[in-house]
Formats: sequence, C-alpha cells, structure tokens
Amino acid sequence: MSVNEITEEKLNLFIDKQLDTDEMNEIHQVLLDDKVLRERVCQLKAVRELVGYAYSEVPPSRHEHARKKSSRSIYARAIAASVTLVVGVLLGWSTYQYSPNAVNAISAENTFQYVANQVTVDHTQRKIILHIDSGDFRVVNSALNEADNLLATYRKANLPMKLDVVTNKEGINILRPDVSPYIDRVQKMIDNEGVSFFACKRSIAKANKIEGVEIVLMPGVITNKSAKDIIPNRLQDGWVYIKA
Amino acid sequence: MKIVKNLVAAFSLKSEFAARRNKLYRIAYSWCHDAALADDLAQEAIFKAIKNAARLRDVGTIDTWLYRILFNCWQDYLRVKGRNVEFVEMHDDDQPEHAESYQQSQIVDRVRASIEQLPMQLREVVTLADFAGLSYAEIAEIIDVPIGTVMSRLFRARQNLKQQLLDFGSEELAEFKLRRIK
Repeated sequence: MSVNEITEEKLNLFIDKQLDTDEMNEIHQVLLDDKVLRERVCQLKAVRELVGYAYSEVPPSRHEHARKKSSRSIYARAIAASVTLVVGVLLGWSTYQYSPNAVNAISAENTFQYVANQVTVDHTQRKIILHIDSGDFRVVNSALNEADNLLATYRKANLPMKLDVVTNKEGINILRPDVSPYIDRVQKMIDNEGVSFFACKRSIAKANKIEGVEIVLMPGVITNKSAKDIIPNRLQDGWVYIKA
Repeated sequence: MKIVKNLVAAFSLKSEFAARRNKLYRIAYSWCHDAALADDLAQEAIFKAIKNAARLRDVGTIDTWLYRILFNCWQDYLRVKGRNVEFVEMHDDDQPEHAESYQQSQIVDRVRASIEQLPMQLREVVTLADFAGLSYAEIAEIIDVPIGTVMSRLFRARQNLKQQLLDFGSEELAEFKLRRIK
C-alpha cells in the first residue's frame, strides 16, 4: 500500500481499528517512513481525544447536583491536564520533531505519548503518571498495555522515564492477589521496570468497609496516600498525566 | 417462587439502569448541550427502560439497549420541537473559581462549540464514538442505520472538527500550554 492510497476515510477506520489485520499492518508499515502520514494520524487521534474530554466535566444533573457541590472535581485538574495535553498536540503540529519512537507511539494507539515527547518538563527524566480507577478488564488491559508500550519505547530510545501507576476506586482490585489476574504482570513491572504502584488509601478503607474484611494487596504496592493527594501533587510537579 | 425470582431480577435490572443514569445524562448532554433537557432525557430513558425491562433479552447488551432508548427519546424530542430547533447554550452555575480552571473551561467550551456546529446527525455519531467509546456496530444498532453510514458520518464529523480545532493554535492557548505544562 502506498501513502497515496491511504485516504482520510481509511485513516479514520485505522485509528478506530476497523480495518482488517492486513490493512492495519500495511498502514503501520507506511507510517514507519512517512512523517506527513504520522501527523495526519496524530491529528485525527487528537480530535478523537478532545471530543472524549469535552464532556468529562458536564454541569451536574439535578439528581447529583447536591452531591456534586460538595465533592466536585476531585480529578478536575487531572482531566484539565489531559485536555491541555491534547491541545498541545493541536498546537504542535508544525514544530514537533518526530523521532523513530513516535511510530511506536502510534502503534500503541497513544496520542498522549506524542505530547509527552513534546511537552516534557524534565529533559533528564520523563515522568508519567497513569491513573486507573476502573476494574473493567478492557480499561485495565488497555492501561497496562499503555504502560508496557511507554516502558518499551523509552527503554528502546535509552531515555530515562519514571512511571507511577495510581489506582483508586475499583482500580485497586488489579492489585489484589485474591481477585486479580494481573498480579504477575504488575509484579514484573515493579521488579524489572521500577514502576511504582499506588493504591488509594481511601479506596482501600472503603473496600474494607464494604466487604467487611481487610482486603490484602500484593507486596510492593504503596498504600499510605490517597489518589486525591498523589495526582494533584504530581501534576504540580510537572508529571504528564494519562487517564486509563 | 417464579414471582420472587422475577421480582429479584427486576430489582437487579433497575439497579443496573440507575447505575448508568449518569452516563446517559452525559451522552444526552453531548447531544443537546442543555443540562435540564439532558436530565429529562436520561430520566425518560430510565423510565422507559424499567417499563420495558422484559424486552431486554441479553443483559450483556444493556448499555447498547439503554443508549438506543435514550436516542429514541432524543429523536422524539426533536420531532416534537421540529427539526430546526435551536438550542440555547445553558451556562453551568458552578463556574470554575480559579483563572487556570477558567482557561481550561474555555478550551472545553471551544471544543463543545465546535461540536455544536456539526449537523445533528454527525454530532450524535461522533459523541457516541469518541465520547461514549462505542464501536461502529453498536452505534449502527443504536441509531438504526447501516454501518457504512456510521463510518461516513464519523468521517465527516471528524474532518469538520479537525478543521475547526486547528484554529486552536492561538497565542493565548500556546501561553496557556507553556504555563500549565512547564
């Protein structure tokens, strides 16, 4: 497949994974050599992300208005940062210098990584926070794949990178040996890649209360802070935020 | 015994519907950009879902089923109001307090405004795909059109949005980015 055969319609299908495997692979192959095509893919993904985030925060409905008043937007700043990152993509079309690793980022369906490459705060070490608040296997799989891709990309490029994974709500379940199918995978990330995994102490307390027994998390997980504390602090320190 | 089982099942389904109310509200809001109307639509969808719960054969498809009901409620509303209904943007009472949040809010507003410029059929599809995260097949089922139509509407919607959002590259936003991500 040549770049001329890749229409905008086809790129839409590509980013939504609606093409068959052969066509997906062919486009991946063309992306390796074509910077303009990578930009087009990046733009489309950014549009998709922006639409997603445009309604992350909506006016509370009448039903939840009272509750929302008191607990509004614990993660609003995190969402805000995410939107900003995507806007960064939009701002950076013309100036962004693509590296070979950018292709991996596209392969990983990871718009944010482009931005992480672009708007770094610390040129000696990239610092990324991955937030998982769901136990849905699709979300968790996607998040862990994202983490693997990030680690592999930076390792390949020989760039230092610190990755913290913060879990809360149902997300803490991925760190429970009694229920999680991801324990081995997480343990390897901790042991081999130096990834720090946090389980929100408030979510743990809540789970303890609901289940009536003390829930047990795998060794190596940090449990002495709440997600509410960790995320804003890291954002202030310039970490790049990715919401699973 | 069967009655008890049915009651338990009905109660369980009702909880499932209620748990999805917020998501329905958000999707409705992405279509109409009116909090009160979105609330009414979500409420009506839940009400109809409870009323017709027996028609839900496969609980695994509950999301698609609910979204379809919501979509039908929305179409009914448009039919009553007329196809050329104009929406007045309702402003959130809880405006962000900090300047930074306010700027962030402006960006979100800008994206929403771009979405609002889209013809309704494109808006419905792009929000179902990119906000609700549904597959083409699910969207086709919800809005009852062929999958090819979903593809073409989504393509046109994104092209349109891409063009509008590229205007984001203003100095103001550039400064904002530099300040936010130092």
